[in-house]
Amino acid sequence: MAAANDYIRGITMGKEDLVSNNPLRALGLEKEDGNDGRRVGLVMARAGLGKTAILVQIAMDSMLRDNKVLHVAIGEGLEKTRTWYDDILGLMNQDQNVENFQQIVDSVMQNRMIMTFKENSFSAATLEERMEDLSQQGIFKADCLVVDGFDFTKEDSASALNELKGFMEKNDLKMIWFSAVSHREDDRVSANGVPAPCHEVDDAFDTVLLISPEDGDLRLKTLKCSAACSVDAGKSLILDPATMLIKKA
Amino acid sequence: MSVDLSNVRNIGISAHIDSGKTTLTERILFYTDRIHAIHDVRGKDGVGAKMDSMELERERGITIQSAATYCNWKGNNINIIDTPGHVDFTVEVERALRVLDGAVLILCSVGGVQSQSITVNRQMDRYNVPRISFINKCDRTGANPERVTGQLQEKLGLNAHMLQLPIGLENDLEGVVDLVAMKALYFDGDNGEIIREDVIPAELQDAADEKREELLDAVSMFSDELMEAMLEETEITEPMVKEAVRAGTLALEFSPVFIGSAYKNKAVQPLLDAVEYYLPCPTDVENIGLDLDKDEEEFAVSNNDEDPLIMLAFKLEDGRYGQLTYVRTYQGLLTKGDTVFNTRTGKKVKVGRLVRMHSDDMEDIDSCGPGDIVALFGVDCASGDTFTDGKITCSMSSMHIPEPVISLAIIPSDNKAQINMSKALNRFTKEDPTFKTFVDHETSETIISGMGELHLEVYVERMKREYGAEVEVGAPQVAYRETISARADFNYTHKKQTGGSGQFGRVSGYMEPLEEGEYEFEDKIVGGSIPREFISSCDKGFIKSMAKGTLCGSPVTGVRCVITDGSFHAVDSSDLAFALASAGAFREGYAKAKPAIMEPIMKVAVEGPSEFQGSVMGSINQRRGMIIGTTEEGTYTVVEAEVPLSEMFGYSTALRSLTQGKAEFTMEFASFRPVPKSVSEELVKKYQDEKKEK
Repeated sequence: MAAANDYIRGITMGKEDLVSNNPLRALGLEKEDGNDGRRVGLVMARAGLGKTAILVQIAMDSMLRDNKVLHVAIGEGLEKTRTWYDDILGLMNQDQNVENFQQIVDSVMQNRMIMTFKENSFSAATLEERMEDLSQQGIFKADCLVVDGFDFTKEDSASALNELKGFMEKNDLKMIWFSAVSHREDDRVSANGVPAPCHEVDDAFDTVLLISPEDGDLRLKTLKCSAACSVDAGKSLILDPATMLIKKA
Repeated sequence: MSVDLSNVRNIGISAHIDSGKTTLTERILFYTDRIHAIHDVRGKDGVGAKMDSMELERERGITIQSAATYCNWKGNNINIIDTPGHVDFTVEVERALRVLDGAVLILCSVGGVQSQSITVNRQMDRYNVPRISFINKCDRTGANPERVTGQLQEKLGLNAHMLQLPIGLENDLEGVVDLVAMKALYFDGDNGEIIREDVIPAELQDAADEKREELLDAVSMFSDELMEAMLEETEITEPMVKEAVRAGTLALEFSPVFIGSAYKNKAVQPLLDAVEYYLPCPTDVENIGLDLDKDEEEFAVSNNDEDPLIMLAFKLEDGRYGQLTYVRTYQGLLTKGDTVFNTRTGKKVKVGRLVRMHSDDMEDIDSCGPGDIVALFGVDCASGDTFTDGKITCSMSSMHIPEPVISLAIIPSDNKAQINMSKALNRFTKEDPTFKTFVDHETSETIISGMGELHLEVYVERMKREYGAEVEVGAPQVAYRETISARADFNYTHKKQTGGSGQFGRVSGYMEPLEEGEYEFEDKIVGGSIPREFISSCDKGFIKSMAKGTLCGSPVTGVRCVITDGSFHAVDSSDLAFALASAGAFREGYAKAKPAIMEPIMKVAVEGPSEFQGSVMGSINQRRGMIIGTTEEGTYTVVEAEVPLSEMFGYSTALRSLTQGKAEFTMEFASFRPVPKSVSEELVKKYQDEKKEK
């Protein structure tokens, strides 16, 4: 019994180390999935600048804090999505060298499920149906949802977004994070500086982050920020271009 | 000099079980005059199809080993590898795809794209194999080639388009409409050997025009000439369309679909034409070798017969005349009597006999060159070895060999069976890298392990039939392991006084978990508290203790033993005394090092219609499985999970009943993980009870 208790204590401490040392703390996201309200976030960037890496870091942070995360990847394979988690966890550990790392990984991965859809087979209704199925059978009850590859250029994207926000409450989700691709040639922006194609729906989001290359660095800018977030809108963090991890201050 | 390989095709034939691959191959051999009579897979004449050379294959009607053959069609040399359809034999499929330039994917016109077709397609993607599809069994009730073409697009993501239309279906299947030449083809004669060309039946003309338009739209992007002709509305010639289809197919961006019924001798010859027109010759594809002199730098093989020889051994068979090694030549020339070097072992071997295989018959040949698939006699090597003439040190990329997942104990019925069983096992393990065998020293049972229940069942059957080795088979077993999760000290003295000289040895130190590897030993003794000559005995004592853990009797892995101190007696210390002292020290340390039982966890993929996704996930959940995720592709979903192997026995039956037989699963070893407390307690109790019984 003592051995089991030591084991659990070791994992808990390891997780705490990874959480407290995570540079994402600078964004105050732990308040995003707190009990004070439901939050919707968005990570934007041009293609290939690391949106998925940021979403995975946000998901991982939430998982380490014992939230169940459903990662929905649209137009991306399961293996590739899974590799993102393995790589990022590995990099996080390289920095911190936590004891019992493998046990922590095994324990944390129980908080994650990945659903991948082809672009043409994804709909908010299908997702809701699948989530209900998982929850009713007691297999997986998500606390947070990460949606990577949602097509904001589609005509019905605003209504699909509303639908997803609608079942956030129904399914008791603490937060949903989306990713969206911006394009260099499209210079439309909202009053908050949120680029197209999300400039017309930026009200739907409490937090909007933008990855943009500036002066040879890759910056994670906070375009919009919820009241809970500790970073002022307009502040930015620097990303390590090799790992896409947020650099420590 | 670069040899003209434009008339060489190395193709594989692969598909889901029972799609009629072997029947199709039989027809191909008949039409190319390689055989002079047709025998069916489950034929009443009892002869069986040519490619199913093993008695067992003929009886079960499935292909177990891939056989290689070649034929000549209209001046083209076609090397064919017939590959197994069952998931347990995928290593055969993988090996074949590694050395082939193109493939024919066979589908049943009723069953459509089934799970094994998806697996095979994935394997073809992995090896960048251009493919054409043949929708077989169009004579069957419920045949619907158009629906199957749709599935090729949806489920396999192929840009698949029919190049033919059926003239009649099911019992009324008469022939096909060729949408490239825009003519009807009928197959007359007793065996469909006489091809009769005719005009397209009036009732099919509109459909044929419409389908041809669709086809032209789909392939025009691969040919500027065709695109121009379409835009300018000038004549679109047959070669123009063929060239566009070929370009798209070779670029893996288009997949032509043919239809027919091999069993009813309908439309096999146009498929052979398609192999010639649309599948690549060896120079159309780039094969990569690794230069071992330049830190495994990649290079493209030349297909030139004057360049240094490079051959890859992709299949071994132990036959009547010794080991038969199937090789694919990538460049250079090999002549009978030449000496070749195995780049893995550095050994030189003389090639005494060179043959071209035709299932289990063979033809002696004097030489072979780039693009050839032949067999060598009496060359000792492993599957996947590269041979050169010694002028170059390179290796063709290694092949993906999955880990065995299941084991069975086999007990020979008598002495004779024991001898025969050893011979059989020796041969099978050489031929098949996924089949492994060892003796459990504790129970003295021979354990065989492999890729699935059918895989092992087939070998047990082969033992009986080919070697006369009658064996009893135990229940499938899971290979548990034990390990430690904490560092622990030990200090053990072995002392025994039995009259005469006694035994004395003291070993002190610690053990700790080892991140990678099974076992490590370190000697940190200073000042000679254990004399040098006894150190190796200490190591041996630990190794012996690792063979069997104290929790459930499974082997212990992941332990580092460090000795720091000890004592000895000038007269009573011996190798045996220190080996026993170390064994005692291991027991002492192990009990304190928080030992745990580990079980094999399998990566399981269940493929089936999306409507059953909930039931599939429920069934995995009930089996202590952790669902990694789902991939939804149209109406089809793949659920991927990690499930303990011990929970997977009988899953195929459970899955069949849950999904009306519409879902199937594959699994492979993922890792060892600690078992939950309840399972651990059960295993410990079972082991203790067994010990008491003894």
